Amino acid sequence: MEPVPRNLKILTGITIVLFLTALYMVFIYAPREAIMGDVQRVFYFHVAAGWVGALAFLVTAIAGGVYLAKREPKWDRLAESSVEIGVVFTLINISSGSIWARPIWNTWWTWDPRLVTATIMLLLYFAYLMLRQGIEDPDRRARFGSVYGIAAFISVPVTFLSIRLFRTIHPVVIGSSDPAAEGAFDMTARMVQALMFSVLTFTFVYATLLRYRIRLGRGTEEVEKRKMELISL
Amino acid sequence: MLLQDAPAETFNYMAFGYSVILSIMGLYVLSLRSRFRNLERDKELLDELSAKAEPSIENSSDATR
Repeated sequence: MEPVPRNLKILTGITIVLFLTALYMVFIYAPREAIMGDVQRVFYFHVAAGWVGALAFLVTAIAGGVYLAKREPKWDRLAESSVEIGVVFTLINISSGSIWARPIWNTWWTWDPRLVTATIMLLLYFAYLMLRQGIEDPDRRARFGSVYGIAAFISVPVTFLSIRLFRTIHPVVIGSSDPAAEGAFDMTARMVQALMFSVLTFTFVYATLLRYRIRLGRGTEEVEKRKMELISL
Repeated sequence: MLLQDAPAETFNYMAFGYSVILSIMGLYVLSLRSRFRNLERDKELLDELSAKAEPSIENSSDATR
């Protein structure tokens, strides 16, 4: 495998520094919320993880479209890599939300529109990864993945808009919450800064992981190609 | 004088939440690392097999002349 490029090493270093700074901002810089207490701090990485999930699935949809137009394997590699990371971060988003909800809503889970749509989104993209494994032919797999990735993307705006369109107890961070929402709070300037910095940090985490995952995908394809060549000898 | 309620004691939930967040991220990074290692091993094995296969091909092409 070719050595890790210098720019990727630099990106990794920057990401680690940003992550450590984000942890400082979340635990030390941002104040303790007046009613919810410390559990509110989960919100910073919860929102940031949700952002990365949505971004990752958007990249998948775009990459899928470009693959269908150009039929170049690198776009399919990008789409698959991005979905994998998106699934991981959506899982982080849902599980951290559940842990926050326990003391605030007095339940780990409720059939709230936001929770349900986010879980459906997670399952849709998890299915993408599983179904791809079942297709042998690389071109067919890539075409399936592209169409699926574009179609599944509808779940992303539905999830985002669910708290604005439906009656929900999930708080709205930007804008005003439904009167039934529980756990809404007014953010101080420091909280806003911690949130924005967490979102920025997670974007860098996504970009770094994506670069590594694409390298892995490229390496796997090379190995598969060499295996086929060896078999044919 | 108005008594102000103190914030709820939810430190344990915060700790649990961040443990889960960091664990999932850590597990994913470890899985990537493990997959890279497996890939390196596969490549080394393919190099060995290719090296063994090349002399065999040369021998069989000599024999057919």
